[in-house]
Amino acid sequence: MRWRAEKNTPWLLLSPAILTILFVVAIPLLFSFYTSLTPYKLTRPETINNFIGLRNYERLFDDAKFWWAFGRTILFLAIALNVEFILGLGIALLINKITWGQRTLRTIMMFPMMFSPILVGFQFKFIFNDHIGILNNALQGLGIMDDSIAWLVDKPLGMFSIIFAEVWMSTSVFAILLLAGLFAMPRDPLEAAKVDGCNPWQVFRHITLPFIMPFAFIAMTIRSLDVARAYDIVDVMTGGGPAGRTEVLWTLIARVGYDNAKMGQANAMAYVSTLLSILFTYYFFTKLVAARRYMGGAE
Amino acid sequence: MKSSKLRLLLASAIVPLALTGAPAIAGDFDGVELRVKLIGGDQYEPLYAEIEKWEAETGATVNILSRKNHFELDREIKQDIAAGTLDWCVGSNHTSFAPQYGSIYRDLNGVIDASVIAEFDALAIENSTVHDRLVQLPRHSDVSNMYYLKSVFEDQGNKDGFKAKYGYDLAPPETWDQVKDQAIFLTKGPDFFGTQYVGKDEAITGRFYELLVANGGALFDDDWNPTFNSAAGVEAVSWFKDLYDAGAVPKGVLSYLWGETGNGFASGTIALNLDWGGWASYFNSADATAGNVGLIRAPKGSAGIRTGWSGSHTFSITESCDNVPAAASFVTFLTDYDRQMVEASKGLLPTRTQVWVDATAHFKADGNAFLANVMEVYSQSMAEDAFTPPLIPEWIEVSNEIWPRLQSAILGEMTIQAALDEAAEAAAEVMEDAGY
Repeated sequence: MRWRAEKNTPWLLLSPAILTILFVVAIPLLFSFYTSLTPYKLTRPETINNFIGLRNYERLFDDAKFWWAFGRTILFLAIALNVEFILGLGIALLINKITWGQRTLRTIMMFPMMFSPILVGFQFKFIFNDHIGILNNALQGLGIMDDSIAWLVDKPLGMFSIIFAEVWMSTSVFAILLLAGLFAMPRDPLEAAKVDGCNPWQVFRHITLPFIMPFAFIAMTIRSLDVARAYDIVDVMTGGGPAGRTEVLWTLIARVGYDNAKMGQANAMAYVSTLLSILFTYYFFTKLVAARRYMGGAE
Repeated sequence: MKSSKLRLLLASAIVPLALTGAPAIAGDFDGVELRVKLIGGDQYEPLYAEIEKWEAETGATVNILSRKNHFELDREIKQDIAAGTLDWCVGSNHTSFAPQYGSIYRDLNGVIDASVIAEFDALAIENSTVHDRLVQLPRHSDVSNMYYLKSVFEDQGNKDGFKAKYGYDLAPPETWDQVKDQAIFLTKGPDFFGTQYVGKDEAITGRFYELLVANGGALFDDDWNPTFNSAAGVEAVSWFKDLYDAGAVPKGVLSYLWGETGNGFASGTIALNLDWGGWASYFNSADATAGNVGLIRAPKGSAGIRTGWSGSHTFSITESCDNVPAAASFVTFLTDYDRQMVEASKGLLPTRTQVWVDATAHFKADGNAFLANVMEVYSQSMAEDAFTPPLIPEWIEVSNEIWPRLQSAILGEMTIQAALDEAAEAAAEVMEDAGY
């Protein structure tokens, strides 16, 4: 009896966590997966009972719009993460050198993160408006150009404008995490390298950068999940248009799921797009483990 | 005995009155909390300031659960339908959106008194009816007419130059071909443009649809087969594309919605702007355009028909509402004569025909010739030119197949015919899936 009680104790202690995960994560996931196997329409709830197997998924594989949005999301993710990393690293290195007012600067740096993405979207939509926007008016006023630039319409510029807004809002995530890495860095290897005659670039390349890379990969994992789900900013600024030029996965999924009310089809899209997040998370965790191994840390 | 009979008589008189949404009697709904979801935004808000009067009159309180723009509200309502959480009574609705909500809203025939319904514009009531059920009571209608900057059309240099180039007088346009000529002539980019249009979402589908009809085309035939890839459809898209290619509209026009076009015209840098009445007061008081705004009925297409894509903002009562008399009283109050006069004062086009007449007379008596003209133009256009998109649940889905292809055609990524053919094929699939 006692043996059985002891055997069950861990399960008993873990049961609140297991139940929470079951109700908050597993059941909704299973339910939404089930709906992806039905022609579920939000406005006709009874359609949830009509099982159609993999038909939504089969349709998806022939849907060029979906795969273009998939590819565009990868491009968006790759550019945004790299730019945020480079800028965040630069900001972190600069702030790390400051001896006075560092706390104030760190707080100011976090301001963009405090805005709702919808507000950021509206703010940049106005800034990039070709006719009454601040940017074109400033460029014309300063005599840099006479014409106007259609920031939100032109093929490369539409994505550029969205990436700019995303980078403006979230670079500080990288800066804060990398700054934490710089703060945690021991001084001894840096001083030893200087004694050995390393120049500043060599110190940065071979000591500082490898040390903060685990922090960078954690930031990349978090941000890759964020960017892969990008919706608010894109929806407000361009709505995925014009002609699908800035369509990313979640603007397409939201239109299918809510505007067209085809939640079954939208959930099939969402499940395929989740692969993207899993792929990036796996990649960054592999890099994180490799970086920690390089630094002699635990795997 | 006599007294109890009298009470019975009184009660029997009051019950039907309350059930048919007649003006509430003070204290009728003491302690009642009415849960509502309303459309939000500057042009809609002045009406909501009146709600406290209804609360004071009836003793009820109004709990506004949502105050979002219509697209967000639409999503929320769809979520409520899916989750079975329609635990509210009154919701803002729109004639274009209503068909997709199935049977969640109550038939107001019998709930609102027939004599009250008879006071509304017959067309607005007809458009509010889905499958013979009056699922909404119209608040105001949103047909569009043509605003223009008077100074541009009065300028002698413009008049002479235009006449020399096009061979006819420069005057506020009567046809869409004239709009194109004038827009191209008047543009002095990037600071001043001849015209503009909303360039995405259902907004551009609607603009395309009304020009298609004005050119003699139709979206569907009688069997619901798409027919908008006709010669009239190509002519309609050409109008948008020609202006875009000529630089007579701002370059970013394909990212514009109502906010951008409204603020663009109010900045004084757009000569001609097709828009609804909700902007009228703002246009005529904005720094750059105050006193310089003219308004005419929407121009005609090549078939001699005026554009008139229209719909009405409305209020509906849910089937699940737990206090229908209170909800009916509230909806009746929000659309009554006095409230519609309040909305008319902002330039909105109310749906009670008497308000059209009285508001026009009121503005004239006040010496406000601009708003009097606004009321006259919009009421005439509502009575004679207005037509709705097909009132079917699939309208938004069909629209989502059309507008990205319109953008592709305007940007030159596809030929106009190819874009319309592709959109028609996709729309046919939507209709086929829906069982048409």
